[in-house]
Amino acid sequence: MENNLSIYNYEFSENKKAKEPLLWIGLVSIIMFFAGLTSAVIVSSTSSTWKIFTLPNTFWYSSIAIIISSITFQLGYSFVKKNNLLLPKLLFISTLILGFTFVYFQYEGLSYLYQQGIYATGNKSTTSSSYLYVLTVLHIFHLFFGIISLGVVTTKSLMNKYNSSNFLGIKLSLTYWHFLGILWLYLFMFLTIMMSK
Amino acid sequence: MDITHSEHKHHESFISKYLFSRDHKMIAKQFMITGFTMGFIGIIMSVLFRLQLGWPGEKFLINDLLLGSWANGGVIAPDKYLALVTMHGTIMVFFMLTAGLSGTFSNLLIPLQIGARDMASGFINMLSYWIFFVSCIVMLVSLGVEGGAASSGWTIYPPLSALPEAIPGSGLGMTLWLVSMALFITSSLIGSLNYIVTILNLRTKGMTFTRLPLTIWSFLVTAILGVLSFPVLLSAVLLLVFDRSFGTSFYLSDIYIGGQALERFGGSPILFEHLFWFLGHPEVYIVLLPSLGITSEIVSTMSRKPIFGYKFMIGSILAIGGLSFIVWGHHMFVTGMNPFLGAVFTITTLLIAIPSAIKVFNYLTTLWRGNIIFSPAMLFSIGLISTFITGGLTGLILGDATLDINVHDTYFVVGHFHIVMGLSAVFGTFAGVYHWFPKMFGKMMNNTWGQIHFWITIVTAYGVFFPMHFLGLAGVPRRYYTNSSFPMFDDFVNLNEIISIFAIIAFIGQFIFIFNFLYSIFKGRKASQNPWSSNTLEWTTPVEHIHGNWPGEIPEVHRWPYDYNKPGYEEFIPQNVPLKKGEVESV
Repeated sequence: MENNLSIYNYEFSENKKAKEPLLWIGLVSIIMFFAGLTSAVIVSSTSSTWKIFTLPNTFWYSSIAIIISSITFQLGYSFVKKNNLLLPKLLFISTLILGFTFVYFQYEGLSYLYQQGIYATGNKSTTSSSYLYVLTVLHIFHLFFGIISLGVVTTKSLMNKYNSSNFLGIKLSLTYWHFLGILWLYLFMFLTIMMSK
Repeated sequence: MDITHSEHKHHESFISKYLFSRDHKMIAKQFMITGFTMGFIGIIMSVLFRLQLGWPGEKFLINDLLLGSWANGGVIAPDKYLALVTMHGTIMVFFMLTAGLSGTFSNLLIPLQIGARDMASGFINMLSYWIFFVSCIVMLVSLGVEGGAASSGWTIYPPLSALPEAIPGSGLGMTLWLVSMALFITSSLIGSLNYIVTILNLRTKGMTFTRLPLTIWSFLVTAILGVLSFPVLLSAVLLLVFDRSFGTSFYLSDIYIGGQALERFGGSPILFEHLFWFLGHPEVYIVLLPSLGITSEIVSTMSRKPIFGYKFMIGSILAIGGLSFIVWGHHMFVTGMNPFLGAVFTITTLLIAIPSAIKVFNYLTTLWRGNIIFSPAMLFSIGLISTFITGGLTGLILGDATLDINVHDTYFVVGHFHIVMGLSAVFGTFAGVYHWFPKMFGKMMNNTWGQIHFWITIVTAYGVFFPMHFLGLAGVPRRYYTNSSFPMFDDFVNLNEIISIFAIIAFIGQFIFIFNFLYSIFKGRKASQNPWSSNTLEWTTPVEHIHGNWPGEIPEVHRWPYDYNKPGYEEFIPQNVPLKKGEVESV
């Protein structure tokens, strides 16, 4: 009964109940943020000065990395729910490594573009190249928080803090990670189309 | 162990209770004090630039005292005039009427009216306030930097906002404006997340969606609008920061400064307008809807009648919220928009008149033959209905592309949005403060002073903004420092003086409210638990605040909140009173 709990216990139980919807509505706001940016790309692409170029191959590699990371994370989560607690440790570490791999390939891709004379800013930049850098970097910025939460999940998993009745933290982190994966795939497809217009 | 007051006191220090409180009621007060302080600063700014508009070039001691180097010799410098106008708009729209209004009443009423101990996350709620507080400080600091505050209007259109070298206010002041707004948006977003989740998840037993007070419906839709529109503004602001600081050209193309061509190609300032107004128009309803919700509650309670057309009121709130996302183009009719697109935006804009009219008719029908108690809260609510009608009517003109083009960027627009959005929201805020003051402070505000405050405010407010329509119809442009160089506007000099006199009286009149507010906190009559004989759950909590709201069980809800003078039953029946045998629920 609620009235038999102290106020602090009460807050704790309420927070737990609210964490998942808080995350989901937060994701909606991130969707709107990127919707604003990608709408801006569409409007700007009608300009006569819009330049096209090919996206680097490493973006494909990073896409594969983030897809596999989602699978390993999901598997780890499924094992925790079944109270199999050894495999998730390996899977979460793999996910973390794949997360860093994604960032590495993104960096490689952007470096390649830079070497090709496609700049984010300055006199030699174009609106299209600026958008490309802004969108990818902003995605990495969001991924940074995903990696932090993944790090927390991995650490807690190594410390045996999760089991089949306590896995909310993994579920939240997993949801966010899947979201980032889908977001990147959307951005990659979108950029591929817009940069070839 | 029961949640008792003494136990609660044991856990709280001064810092955790008054500064970093997680209690929604305290956070509501923090939002109110901060928002109102910002509002007061914003209003002072308007009085100062009204002095310039009423008596162009005249010296005023008050300018010397308050503005210092901005007004050498007592006359506001032209560039500082623009800074004042910009900061007035920014502060009033965002800091006072968005955070001050929604932050105060959503925080105060959501948990109390839905029957929850607190917000879904007390921590996020606290964080939301403190980020808002920092954003206020950054915005105020921008007033004192070299070059002055942002000066490109509250809409901060590029290129003035995108090039630091454009005008004096485009420098550090503009940068701080952007930083402040980024913080403000963050605060607003996390606050909105909390409101939505609280309403969806933490309603007490029996509190179905068709038993929610209309205040909660309006706060819910307001929060949804915020979550959907503020991120788009954030994306616009971010691209602007890149243009300003990193040499990109998202909003810039073919720019010359001092005869020198800048190497910025491919961007478009119109893009910024699209992104800005995608937030900007829902923002109108982010400001308005909470006030409309507050009014619904007060009109019903103080008429001692059920709100007329409860479900239509909900439908109207939802319709207004939905339509607000597809009308932004009406702010851009003169940007060279395709006439067909202009026609589409005209239609979507005019459609909003339907749910708005439903709301107005329902307010009037609720008042009709009611046993009206003309409390200050009720007077301000009726004032809101009045401004919503008068401002809404001129909205029909501005929503029509063919008519709008004739008065675009004139005082007609200034008069319109100040009445429909500014006054309505301010009246709703005042109504809310007068009505829920007993809940916030356990004291009653003075009724007589409240009545005097209302009459001074409504007369002077119309005195300020009604004549602006005539100025606008004559073509007097907004944002101009002076019109004395244009002989065709000479006939309107007296009208500008009259407007400024009304503005000064309106400003002075607000001291009555401030006095009443502060006096009542310390010396006001002690409030009873339910001073307005109201039905909603907040009046079932003890007068003295406790964290957790109810000392025992959270009340269960058995009926809608508007059972006033139900035939054959008591004069009012609170929501937690079970239905009697054979009683049919009103909704």
